[in-house]
Amino acid sequence: MELAFQLIFSFGVFLALLAVGMAVPYAIAVPGILYLLMQNGLTAMKGIGLVTWGSMNSFTLTAIPLFILMAELMQRSGLSFRIYRGLAKAVSRLPGGLLQTNIVGCALFAAISGSSVATAASIGGVALPQLVQRKYDRRLSAGSLAAGGTLGILLPPSIAMIIYGSFTETSVAKLFMAGVIPGVLLMLMFMLYIGIRSFFGHAVPRGAPPDGISVLTAVGDVLPFALLISGIMGSIYAGWATPTEAASGGCAFALILCLIWGDMTWAHFQDAMHRTVQIVGNLLFIIYSAYIYAYAIGVAGVGESVTHWLIGLNLSHAEFFGALFLLYTVLGCLVESIGMIVITVPLIYPVLGNYGIDPIWFGVILVMYVELGQISPPIGINLFVIQSIWDGELSDVVMGTIPFHIIMFVLLGLLTVFPQLTLWLPGQMQ
Amino acid sequence: MEDPEFPGGEAEAAYQPPPTWMEKSCMVICEIGIVAMAVIVIAEIITRNLFGFSFEASEELGGYIIIGITFLSLPVSQVYKAFHHVMFVQERMSPRMRTISHIFFDLLSLGFCLLLVWQLARFTMQTYKAEDVSMGFLATPLWIPQTLMPIGALAACVSLTRALIGNVRRLRATGR
Repeated sequence: MELAFQLIFSFGVFLALLAVGMAVPYAIAVPGILYLLMQNGLTAMKGIGLVTWGSMNSFTLTAIPLFILMAELMQRSGLSFRIYRGLAKAVSRLPGGLLQTNIVGCALFAAISGSSVATAASIGGVALPQLVQRKYDRRLSAGSLAAGGTLGILLPPSIAMIIYGSFTETSVAKLFMAGVIPGVLLMLMFMLYIGIRSFFGHAVPRGAPPDGISVLTAVGDVLPFALLISGIMGSIYAGWATPTEAASGGCAFALILCLIWGDMTWAHFQDAMHRTVQIVGNLLFIIYSAYIYAYAIGVAGVGESVTHWLIGLNLSHAEFFGALFLLYTVLGCLVESIGMIVITVPLIYPVLGNYGIDPIWFGVILVMYVELGQISPPIGINLFVIQSIWDGELSDVVMGTIPFHIIMFVLLGLLTVFPQLTLWLPGQMQ
Repeated sequence: MEDPEFPGGEAEAAYQPPPTWMEKSCMVICEIGIVAMAVIVIAEIITRNLFGFSFEASEELGGYIIIGITFLSLPVSQVYKAFHHVMFVQERMSPRMRTISHIFFDLLSLGFCLLLVWQLARFTMQTYKAEDVSMGFLATPLWIPQTLMPIGALAACVSLTRALIGNVRRLRATGR
């Protein structure tokens, strides 16, 4: 009972610090230290050095800065504009016009960035001025970009999956592959919704039919990215490269693309490097703080207690999924996305085996919940990213994302009923 | 949620310490680390696939670089405000309450970083005395990469102290 109280107390401190605005990594680390102090006083601190070295000296984590650098290079050199321009021509005749471009553009940029924020910011920055100028429905425009941005962490490469993989020692390459079919399905479902909404509504102007030259230009705009994405994903799928190796090669290739097709100056390169360090610094510190919190849970033996308690409840599969659904839906509204993964996984992961849940499948489901959290008020980050670019009302962005929420819940249901949608592709890997 | 421009943000910015040589140096070291990591891994791919041999050092060096970036980026993220914050309560606070909350956060964060300096320095000293080396091909004396941990944490303490002083000055200003 005392253990349960200490866990609830430290988690309560974490939520309180987070809610009142403390920097997320510190809001995770400070309750972790408090928890350690409650256990063994200063003696418990002696393990911090070893935990730090053991957890952060990780080759798996090296993929994170490289994928982020790749996305930053593309963004700073203006190549996200070319993706958007090319796609806008390619899908101009589909019902929904530029809104379809938002979704496909987000999916394409997601496949090189690994981050929802980078995806929403890059495509949103290019798309929103054009959408406003052409008088597209404001809510649908903002909603499609905020929701489209979430594809960034489902379609590989995904920073969230790398973090999940490093905590659970699950193959990151298999996690990446597991995200492909759900990611593509989600993209198609988003497009279908926009198509239906545009076909029956009057909110969306139709584009003019493209001529031959436009099509060729569009292919020229999109082809380099298609090559980059196929290079990264192909090498991982074929087993030729680890995610880190694919990321390194991707960085080099992206730099070449930026030099040839983009506006890559020395100043832009420096800018990309600065931003990469800042983004990576935040992410790695969140991961490190979570390891400290996990260490505190380990010292207290709470992990085992929670595992035994959960097993002792004798929940059916459906009840366990229901409990997870409830937990992550609520947490998604309260806790920062990566924080949600790193805080809950050490507690829940050990139970998965007892319920016969595949860790790869669970990783994808968890990422889906993180996606939902990123467009859920009050702290959904993509909502704020789009609002800050758009300069519109936050309530419009929130209302615009609601249909996309529903679509994501439908996909969650599909993945639960048909786990092979997630597990088939990793099963085919060499 | 993150990096919002809420009312009073300009006044806050006026009291925030600008980056100094310390944060700029940490940033440059991290940037060199990221580029070095990419180069090492690419070199490994080329030699393995074209010449059939491996340095067997990329994993070891990659781990050290990640450790270095984790800690040396702390002062960078602090001074450039790169850490994520949940802002919906902050946005509803008065400027004075907001400043008080920031001082409270700075003190907690500083306490945590001081504890890290203490424990990480102790751990590194233990490794140095034990003359531990890595199991890999390079047989690196482990205290060398480990030293980056307390150095980064110490640099974070300096940045946090400067932020704390800035916030105390701001509190005095809002109190008048």
